[in-house]
Amino acid sequence: MLKQALAFLKKDFLVESSYKFAFISRAFGVLAGVLAYFFIDKLFGQRMVPHLEEFGISYFSYVLLGMAFFSYIGVGMGSFSIRIRAEQMQGTLEAVLLSPAKVSTILFSLAVWNLLFAALDTALYIGLGVFLFKINFAGINILSTLVIFILSVISFSSLGILSASFIMVFKQGNPLGWIINTLEGLIGGVYFPVTVMPGWLQFLAGFLPITYAVRAIELAVYRGYSLWQLKTEYAFLMVFSIVLLPLSLSAFKYALRKARLQGSLIQY
Amino acid sequence: MKNILEVEGLSKDFIPPLSFGELIKLDLKRGMPARALRDVSFSLEPGKILGVLGPNGAGKTTLLKIIATLILPDKGSVSINGYRLGNDDEKIKSIVGLVCPQERSFYWRLTGRQNLEFFAAMHGLTNVQARLKELFDIFRINYQDKRFDRLSSGMKQKFALIRGLLHDPRLLLLDEPTKSLDYTAALDLRGFIKENMAKKGKTVVFATHNMDEALDFCDLFMILNQGKLRAFGTLEELRGQTGRPGAALGEIFVRLSKT
Repeated sequence: MLKQALAFLKKDFLVESSYKFAFISRAFGVLAGVLAYFFIDKLFGQRMVPHLEEFGISYFSYVLLGMAFFSYIGVGMGSFSIRIRAEQMQGTLEAVLLSPAKVSTILFSLAVWNLLFAALDTALYIGLGVFLFKINFAGINILSTLVIFILSVISFSSLGILSASFIMVFKQGNPLGWIINTLEGLIGGVYFPVTVMPGWLQFLAGFLPITYAVRAIELAVYRGYSLWQLKTEYAFLMVFSIVLLPLSLSAFKYALRKARLQGSLIQY
Repeated sequence: MKNILEVEGLSKDFIPPLSFGELIKLDLKRGMPARALRDVSFSLEPGKILGVLGPNGAGKTTLLKIIATLILPDKGSVSINGYRLGNDDEKIKSIVGLVCPQERSFYWRLTGRQNLEFFAAMHGLTNVQARLKELFDIFRINYQDKRFDRLSSGMKQKFALIRGLLHDPRLLLLDEPTKSLDYTAALDLRGFIKENMAKKGKTVVFATHNMDEALDFCDLFMILNQGKLRAFGTLEELRGQTGRPGAALGEIFVRLSKT
């Protein structure tokens, strides 16, 4: 598996680096996003204070961590479908699937570059927070953060793989991609605490793993909450992980079989 | 001798897939299924070169892609070196090479060499540079470090051939491999297949529209038309099956393509 993953990593690095401004424009994108929320905080931050009492931080600190976290688990995990789509569009999917690697190996290898790149985005968010905006992460509970992060990665990878299954069969019009990249970010507490939203949206947010993941990570990082204090979020993420991972792998294998039956691997 | 390839009762229809939009609108009307293969059976011994002939849409590419595990049949079975399609796909992929004429199956922003290194790694190969040098020499490749999108069609086709040969497959499937090649390159390919594959017990299935080429180096011929196997065997056997002793391959092909 390592050999294939490294091959993809090298190949994707070479492809990406052939686009001269890709790295720079992405870094500027992160900086622009952070600055936008910095000024939003200046304007409206005080109105958020009642919703942020539990976290004990400013709105900007909340949203910076939310974006850093979501840039990895949301954008990173959404990349499973993006990469499958890219291989379809390039016409290379068939050639890749001709290799004797396991389906799960190919799937992971496809996404590994985006996951690494998303990690750089996350590091950039955190770096900007620490060095430019002097946000204090000293109260972090590393164990809780790590466990919640890993469970979030598993949950969101599963959603990403489910999303890739849609792409494999339907090529476009992927509802799960929209849920992962848009709905989760919008109502899952990434850009503002869910308590800001009306009750029915808060109810809906309760069905999304991101809601538990963001809340837990904010509390673990800023308040140093232990796993015991985060047991509800931990339990939900655990259930999402246990249910979604095998489900998503089975769905992808089914989708691949369906595409092979349709003879549509080369279509886009 | 044990057969390397056994195909039994292979049938395939292509039903136009529904888009997700059509599915959620319950717009379930589909076009008529396109018949690609109908009850095709044959077997092949190691070391043979089989020429697959047929008019456009006869089912040649579908047959090759089914054997290569890229398409699943609706009915029938395929066994390669004892491995069953659908059950042992990873093992099949490790001993089968497929060369298709699609230029798009490469990463165009990488060089030819970088592309081949990637596909070699996906096959888990070692000593990749030595293998690449060997194949670059055979196919007289001079532009291995040029970006793929800047190569000529013929050069791209050579890289497709090398990719199919990287893992030294026991069964090589070639879909119109000489379509973009110049005369010398086509000769090189045929020479390589004869000397380095057939004589070493490797098997080749070669789909082509070029009768002279097929006649030049194939041991056996298969004529497909509208998904059906119309004839299979040596040229003499084909002449016997069509009742035309002394007929040229092209003549037999035309006769069977019209029925």
